[in-house]
This record gives sequence, C-alpha cells and structure tokens, in this order.
Amino acid sequence: MNSKSQTVSSVTDTYSTNEAGVRAELSEIDASIRTASVFFTVSSVLWLLIGSVFAIVAAIKMHHPDFLGGDAWTTFGRMRSAHLNAMALGWGNNVIFAVGLWIMARLCRSPIRHGGLLLIAGLFWNFGLTLGLAGIIFGDMTSVEWLEIPHYATPLLAFSYLLVGVWGIMAFHFRKGAHVYVSQWYILAALFWFPWLYAIAQIMIIWFPARGVVQSVTNWWFAHNVLGLWLTPMALATAYYLIPKVLGRPIYSYYLSVLGFWSLALFYNWAGVHHLIGGPIPVWLISAGIVASVMMVVPVVVVGINHHMSVVGLHRAVWRSPALRFVVFGSISYTLASFVGSAMALRSVNEITHFTHFTVGHAHHGVYAFFTMIMFGGIYYMLPRLLKREWPSATLIRVHFWGSAIGITIMLVALHVAGWLQGVHMKDASIPFLEIVQMTLPWLKARSVSGLFLTVAHIAFAVNIFWMLFAAGSFRARTAPTLLSKNDGEAFAK
Amino acid sequence: MDVENYQDLMPIILLGIVFFISALGMFYWSSKRGQLRDFDSQAKTIFTDEEPEGVVSDQFPDEKR
Repeated sequence: MNSKSQTVSSVTDTYSTNEAGVRAELSEIDASIRTASVFFTVSSVLWLLIGSVFAIVAAIKMHHPDFLGGDAWTTFGRMRSAHLNAMALGWGNNVIFAVGLWIMARLCRSPIRHGGLLLIAGLFWNFGLTLGLAGIIFGDMTSVEWLEIPHYATPLLAFSYLLVGVWGIMAFHFRKGAHVYVSQWYILAALFWFPWLYAIAQIMIIWFPARGVVQSVTNWWFAHNVLGLWLTPMALATAYYLIPKVLGRPIYSYYLSVLGFWSLALFYNWAGVHHLIGGPIPVWLISAGIVASVMMVVPVVVVGINHHMSVVGLHRAVWRSPALRFVVFGSISYTLASFVGSAMALRSVNEITHFTHFTVGHAHHGVYAFFTMIMFGGIYYMLPRLLKREWPSATLIRVHFWGSAIGITIMLVALHVAGWLQGVHMKDASIPFLEIVQMTLPWLKARSVSGLFLTVAHIAFAVNIFWMLFAAGSFRARTAPTLLSKNDGEAFAK
Repeated sequence: MDVENYQDLMPIILLGIVFFISALGMFYWSSKRGQLRDFDSQAKTIFTDEEPEGVVSDQFPDEKR
C-alpha cells in the first residue's frame, strides 16, 4: 500500500527502537514518575465520573426540582457543590499532578527522585477530598463558593499539595540545560501560585475571617485565580508542550509565548473582582479588576496567534492525533472563552450576564472546553509513553472526543442563550420573575442532555484507560515495542 | 462598611502589591539569566535525539495500517 510506506516514514519510531542508548533518557524520566502519574491519572478519571453523576443530578434538578428531592443530602446546593469540588479538586488537580509533573520532569531532563512520596501525597489528596466531599454532602460545607470543603479536610489537602509542589520545584531545581521552556515557566509559576491562593483564602475566610465584604473580595480573588493562575497555566503548559512535540515543529514564535506568559502573570491576578460588579465594595477596586480583565486580551491574542500559526498547514496531522484533537479544541476554546470573559467584565455587559446561567456557561467554557479538553489530550499522549502500551481502542477515543465536543457545545449554546435572555428579561421590571424561570426551562433541559453526552464520553475514556491498564496484556505482547510505528498496526485492525 | 474607609481592604491590597512585585522579580531574574534572548533555539529545547524535530509522534492506533 502506497499510503502505508508514505506514512511509515513520517512517523517517529522512538518507542519502537530496542536500543537502550537511544531510549535511555526519556525512558528513565518516564519510569521515575510512572507509578505516581498513573495513580494520579486513575484518581482523576474516577473523580471525573463521580463529578459527572453529581452534575447530572444537579442539572436535572434545575428543571425537575422534585427529582431526588426527598433527602437533604441530595438537594441542589449540596449536589452542585459536590460537583464543583469533585471536578475542580478531584479531576482538575489530580490530572494536573499527573500531566504537569510529567511534563516538568521531561522538560527538566531530570528524573523525579523518591517518586514514592508523591504516591503518599496522592493518597492524602484523595483521602482528604473524599472526606471533604462527604462533609459537603452530609451538611458540613462552608458557605463560600469554591471553598466549600469543611475545615477538617483542608489540612490534608494542604499537606499533600505541599509534597506535590515541592516535588515539582525540586525537578526544576535539578534541571539540565540553561533554557527554561515556556511550559516550565507556566508550571513552575502555577506551583507557587496555587498554594499562595489557597493559603490566603483559607486564612482570610475560614481560619481568621476578615470582616465584611473583604471576605467576598478574597473569595473572588481566589476563585477566579484558581481558573486563571492554576488551571489555565497548566493547560497552556500542556498545549505549548504537545502542539510542537506531536507535530515535530517548534512553536511558531517563542517570543510571543514568553510575552503571553508574562502578561498573564501580571494581569490575571487582578481580574477576579469583576465578579463583584455592582457589589458594595470600592468602585476603584472593581474598575481595576475590569481593566485587568480587558488587558487579558493581550495574553489571549498572543497565545491564540501562536497556537494557530503552529498548527497551520498541518491540520491533517492534528486530526490524526488523539492528543492534538483534544488540545487544539481546547486551545480554540481558550481564545473564545477568554474574549467572552473580558466582555463579561464590562459593566454594561455584566449588568445582563450577572446572576444568570450565562456565567455558568462561561465557567464550563473555561474549565471544560479549554482546560479539560487539553488535559484529555495530555493523558492521551502521556499514558502510552509511561506504560509502553498502545491505546486499546481507537473507537473509544473517537466516542470520547465526539461525546465531549458535541456535549460541551450543546451546553455552551444552551447556557449562554438562556443566560442572556434571562438577564435581558430580568432587567425589565414588567416581566414576572416566574415567567423568566419558565422561559429558561427548555435550555436547562438541553443542558441535561449535554450532560449525558459528556458522561458517555467520560465512560468511554475510563473504559479505555482501565482496559489499557488491566487487560492490555495481549496488546502489550503484540505491540509494545512498536507503539508509534505503523508496521505493526495490523495488530489493532481486528 | 464605610466606603471611604479602605483600611479593611489593606491586607488584600498589600497582597496584590506583593504578588505584583514578586512577578516583576521573577521577570528580572529571567532577563538576567538570558531567558529572553535567543528565542529560536529555546523553542527547540523540547526536541531531543530520542524525540527529534521533524517527525509526527502521535496518531490514532487504528490508523497505523
């Protein structure tokens, strides 16, 4: 077959070589973090499934309030908060620990030392989170959005994060080579930013509460920065690593990538106050937040141009790569979500979108369509290299991609449209509130449907991972050394 | 809270300033260490002899026929 010989030459056979000398370095690094990263990956996927269940329950309750209405622990407030924490701290942080540390170790060309301690950190993290989720569900949650986990679980989370953060920074400390790649900048900075944010928020809100609206300011400074200074840099680091890596072509402009990093570092941490537009806090503080939110256009445009120019002309290769399909979807979403976010920070727009489904849609635009999709791509690239096995089913990867892509698109359209209509109608005092609620019902049902798409996608993802982990012995026997070589592709054909 | 009394907001304002200064500090460090020069070769640090530039390194498992 012509196409066969043609494509064989264009594909790396890094993992098909048996020469120890060729494989040594990256293999050594991958091996040093394998156990911890696989543990974090499995944890993240389990939390993703659990979070999906909470999400669907909460979504259905929005249009059928009687659904599971009999018990206190299945009420909307608890299911919604359980969903948020399972996704943000369960899925998000575990996958960041898995993929972020792996990329950091690879770019530093430095094996992770004492990887076993990372496993302990992982156990503590997941135990603390389970305790926290149980606390939320059974009525101990705090009233602070994004910090709902009760105070008896947070020290466990803090301790395990400390271990992970220190290990990431140690990898950086022992790096080889003078250059610090932009992904390293993002990951290193985020490893400092997250504990800072979490510690300050815990101290000023939970342990030694500040008075009055200062709590709200701290709350939104924290909540918005979890997105902007934790999830965003980790996802951008992954995209900046995987796009050039998979395509075998350096990033379009390294200069722009550095500019994007530094402008994010300088502007983003000011932006969170835009959540309090119209609230009883000094106007100049809100104005500063709005200015910073609009300034975010700079890093967003820079990253958008850079990612676009890096894949231009290679769209076929992007489409043929499971990792890049997800990553490029996420990168495009980053640009779109950020533009919408900057617009939402303007007072005139915020008057309409505040307190509506629009904000919920925007949050999912950022955390799912951008962050989560890129992290899916990260796992699709990382696991075969850690395990030296191929993904057992290409069909399941496609089900995952289309389920996620279609599901999140339905959700975004539904919530943005519903939220905008809701906001416009609520500004008209002649329209009764109940009519506005009823008007949103079809859109909320569409959101529940989108949740089903996403859940199917997540199940496909989980099945593929567990199949790869536990039942792939036969795959390994036939295909292990030829991971990326087309020569043995027939093994997968049946 | 009296809007003209900013004292309750001082901790968070100070934190913002510290945050800003630490970012500037890191920026200065990176500039001193030459991270802001020679961008072309920095972009290529992700490629190694094992995973070289110029080869596509990921695709669907069933497209390998």
